[in-house]
Amino acid sequence: MKIKAYWLILLFCLSGTGTFAQEQKMAESEIATFKQTVNSVSKKIKTLTTDFVQYKHLDFLSKDIETSGKMFFKQPNLLNWKYIKPYNYSIVFKNNKIFINNEGSKSSVDMGNNKMFEKINKLIVGSVSGDMFDDGAFVITYFKSKDGYITRLLPKDATLKKYIKQIELVFDKEEGIVKQVKLIESSNDFTKINFKNKIINAKIDDSAFNN
Amino acid sequence: MLKSTIRLLIINCTLMLLLVSCASHTLKGFSKTIVEQPIYKAPYFSNTGTDYVYKANISIYGKKLSGLFIAKQINDSCHRIVFTTEFGNSLLDFEIGEHTFKINSIVADLDKKMIIKTLKNDFRLVLANSYHVQAQYENATDKVYKSKDGNRYNLLFIKKQSDNLYKLVRASRYKEKVVVSYSNVNNQLAESLTIEHKNIKLDIVLNYMNN
Repeated sequence: MKIKAYWLILLFCLSGTGTFAQEQKMAESEIATFKQTVNSVSKKIKTLTTDFVQYKHLDFLSKDIETSGKMFFKQPNLLNWKYIKPYNYSIVFKNNKIFINNEGSKSSVDMGNNKMFEKINKLIVGSVSGDMFDDGAFVITYFKSKDGYITRLLPKDATLKKYIKQIELVFDKEEGIVKQVKLIESSNDFTKINFKNKIINAKIDDSAFNN
Repeated sequence: MLKSTIRLLIINCTLMLLLVSCASHTLKGFSKTIVEQPIYKAPYFSNTGTDYVYKANISIYGKKLSGLFIAKQINDSCHRIVFTTEFGNSLLDFEIGEHTFKINSIVADLDKKMIIKTLKNDFRLVLANSYHVQAQYENATDKVYKSKDGNRYNLLFIKKQSDNLYKLVRASRYKEKVVVSYSNVNNQLAESLTIEHKNIKLDIVLNYMNN
């Protein structure tokens, strides 16, 4: 079974945070319904704009490191992931290249030539192209809780596994869209991203993807 | 025989003069004074309760990298250092003390002897809590503590008026190797640091993030 590209799009869709206590494994029938909901919602998405807040958690720090910004996505494969606070840093994925604007200093990377960068960022853009969330690459489990649906993806690839122990996506229960992503590293430190103020199918000019 | 010995002596003396002039270049205009304190306590990374989080911009042989530099003193003699991408993925995780060094993790692309050695030396230099002062120099506005470090010297430049460390030079007897410049400093924090290498094309700029 392959989880399709639109999952990632959905991944960028949402709002709010929450704690997900008392979760239960979803039954097969529930999984099927859940996927169907996600499918129908995602089919409608042509463009997407959302705010995000990212928390980097390291056990030895007294406080998570908080950064925030905006994300723009346009079908089929334009993505701008833009940090605004506390620094300006944007990364655009376009034509199999990565364009970086780091506080005015610009550079570009051919994804084919930079394996580490490619792997690290495949979590974002690789899923847009549909080659990431599939059973071939991940062991996927499904849970439900009072606050949402949770999917956990365990990488099968040995290299990816060294860096990412687990990816956790939390979906809004009513809307069937992702509101939180958590990337857990092998050390158990993690990066958590919450999405909010999502706008679907508003016109986004191509210039939003010039970096 | 005598002629050639004299010629050799002249060459030696010229060479010595050249070398001495290189060595004294860093301390040009300074004169030696008595050592006022045997140990200089470094202020900028020594508070155990503080998470030191900096945006890092690295330039290495013309290539640019960026991410977050995170440091914390975890006990009396040791700092934990983590370098992550803007997305939060850890690229390296070290524990560095005056005489200890431990790699908790490092991504394959950075796992090279030279890179590890350079970063270890840089981080140890910048994060050291104290320096044994062997000699002291001063001019009208600044004083300099000279501290021996293996076969190198660390020269700590301090503004007399504010008592703030504004420059740290790591040098051999004859040549500067690394220059650390601090700006926007108070007596506990340097908001901006530049680590400039004189023998390799590597510069690291750190800007404090108000987290």
